[in-house]
Amino acid sequence: MNDGVLTSTDFLPQILVVDDEERIREGCQMVLSELNYKVDTAADGAQGLRMIKMRHYDIILLDLMMPMISGFDVLTKVRDLHPDTVVIVITGYATIEHSIEAMKKGAFDFIPKPFDPEQLRAVVAKAIKYTRALQDIADSRSRLRMVVNCLTDGVMITDDHKRIVLANHAFQHMIGHHGDSLIGHNICKCIADETLSQMIDQALSVPIETSLEITKELILNGADERILSSRCSPFRGRTGVNLGTITVLHDITALKKIDQMKSDFVSMVSHEIRSPMNSLLMQIKIILDGLAGDITDKQHEILERASGKILNLIDLVSELLDLARIESGLITNEKETIAMQELLAEQVTFHRAGAQGKNIEISLETNVDLPSILANRQGMDEVFTNLITNAIKYSPEGSTINVSTGVENGYLNVIIRDTGYGIPSEDLNRIFTRFYRVKDKQTREIHGTGLGLAIVKSIVEAHHGNIKVESEIGRGTAFTVILPLPELGNTDSME
Amino acid sequence: MSDKKLILVVDDDPDLVESLSMKLESENFRVAKAYDGMEGWDEIKKERPALIILDVMMPRKDGYTLCNEIKNSEEYKGIVVVLLTAVADAINSTNYTHMGGKTTLADDFVPKPIDLDKLMEIVKDNLQ
Repeated sequence: MNDGVLTSTDFLPQILVVDDEERIREGCQMVLSELNYKVDTAADGAQGLRMIKMRHYDIILLDLMMPMISGFDVLTKVRDLHPDTVVIVITGYATIEHSIEAMKKGAFDFIPKPFDPEQLRAVVAKAIKYTRALQDIADSRSRLRMVVNCLTDGVMITDDHKRIVLANHAFQHMIGHHGDSLIGHNICKCIADETLSQMIDQALSVPIETSLEITKELILNGADERILSSRCSPFRGRTGVNLGTITVLHDITALKKIDQMKSDFVSMVSHEIRSPMNSLLMQIKIILDGLAGDITDKQHEILERASGKILNLIDLVSELLDLARIESGLITNEKETIAMQELLAEQVTFHRAGAQGKNIEISLETNVDLPSILANRQGMDEVFTNLITNAIKYSPEGSTINVSTGVENGYLNVIIRDTGYGIPSEDLNRIFTRFYRVKDKQTREIHGTGLGLAIVKSIVEAHHGNIKVESEIGRGTAFTVILPLPELGNTDSME
Repeated sequence: MSDKKLILVVDDDPDLVESLSMKLESENFRVAKAYDGMEGWDEIKKERPALIILDVMMPRKDGYTLCNEIKNSEEYKGIVVVLLTAVADAINSTNYTHMGGKTTLADDFVPKPIDLDKLMEIVKDNLQ
């Protein structure tokens, strides 16, 4: 574990030799001092115990056979006081029984008397190696605990029986827990909301060979409502066995509140703008219909154009509202299982009427065993309505539009291909920008807000998908919508 | 005169009510006017209309509430209610749940921006 600058190779062990034979004490001290170790000695068990109580020794060399207090009693005491101290017993007459008994009581090793310096160095070296490993583990644990406790995100680790192994301060604060330690308790008993427990179940049931992060929003109703974004993943041991789960909570309450205010504001403004425009349209219509007196052809034409402009403004407001709603993330909150071939068939049928006006043929090529996806229905309708409407708008009379589907690498592809005017290559990477519209001789008269494709892109990306476009002037354009299929282990979306 | 059917228009925008009334009168209907849901009830009780054109977002009492009150009343549930809704312009697919699952008992609805000719068709169809 050489993950830090300060490793325990810098550390010099404190050694205590407890033996009633002066010769042994002095011999040990001499041999070990040569290695730069700090060595103290005690002439009997009582003195040894006093010294042990006063300070911590890394290693104790302990004679088993001593008058008054035996080595066994000292050993037991050491295990109580300093469980991480390594004890090596010195056995006067090397009986296996004594050694075994000492090992049972927690001795690390034994060295039989008489022993030579080489034997002593070897057994101490082994003990030091062990001590250092222990020290390293203790250091990295405390470092890890420190890091985890300093995080402002809540972190909680469970074992594979959903018992809490670690929960940092932020986590306890987020779930409103105060008082006793959560360690060892089942997660179900610590938090009333079942979402977290269900996420952990789901993470634990993920097949070994797949990795998955389960993401959900947690709404906790305490004194103040808290909205937490929570992510949960299983973690595995060296052999791939599930050891438990790790959950990270991020407080998004403030973000959600701002979002809500933004979307309230947008819909309020939108309504306040749309309503007067609606009645404006109606007033013009009354004049156009001659209900307010006769009008000339020229007046009629001007009013018709004015109506067109107002209609376009109404569309613009609606689309701005849509965009604000998508960007606030609200649209992906309500997902359902969608059979894409059905949705596309409905779309094609719906738009066929409009296309026939321009003598445009729309065809659909799709597979009945197309896997379902998890998506927002209204969002998907908006995506394909926009793309198909665009294809109709930007194609001359007598063109064809083809909608086809495919599955590739865990993604569902929907391709909308037209034989329309095409998009100049210099415009291709800008068409998804808000308010950007390709205007040339052929398309100048086409009405639009310049928001349609921006909306499409936002919706697709909110579903963790992607949209691609290929186009050739005079030959046509193909948009490919790429949407992720439900992942393995996400049971509520499996067919 | 008396065989002209009475239509009640309820909307909080007086200009819209005025325009609608002119159109309806030109189509040989009599028109009663109200500017919110509460006034709507007053007008209904004054003289029972054959059909109500009802806006959704209004102060004091909204269109959904008024519509459901009418349709839950034994005496008035026979009146045809046509809702004017700005929400419907988001409806493209046939199985879209109206108002995010809010059910309405209206007989028909017309999306905003209102196509006056289409509204007249709907009014006439529903009065046959």
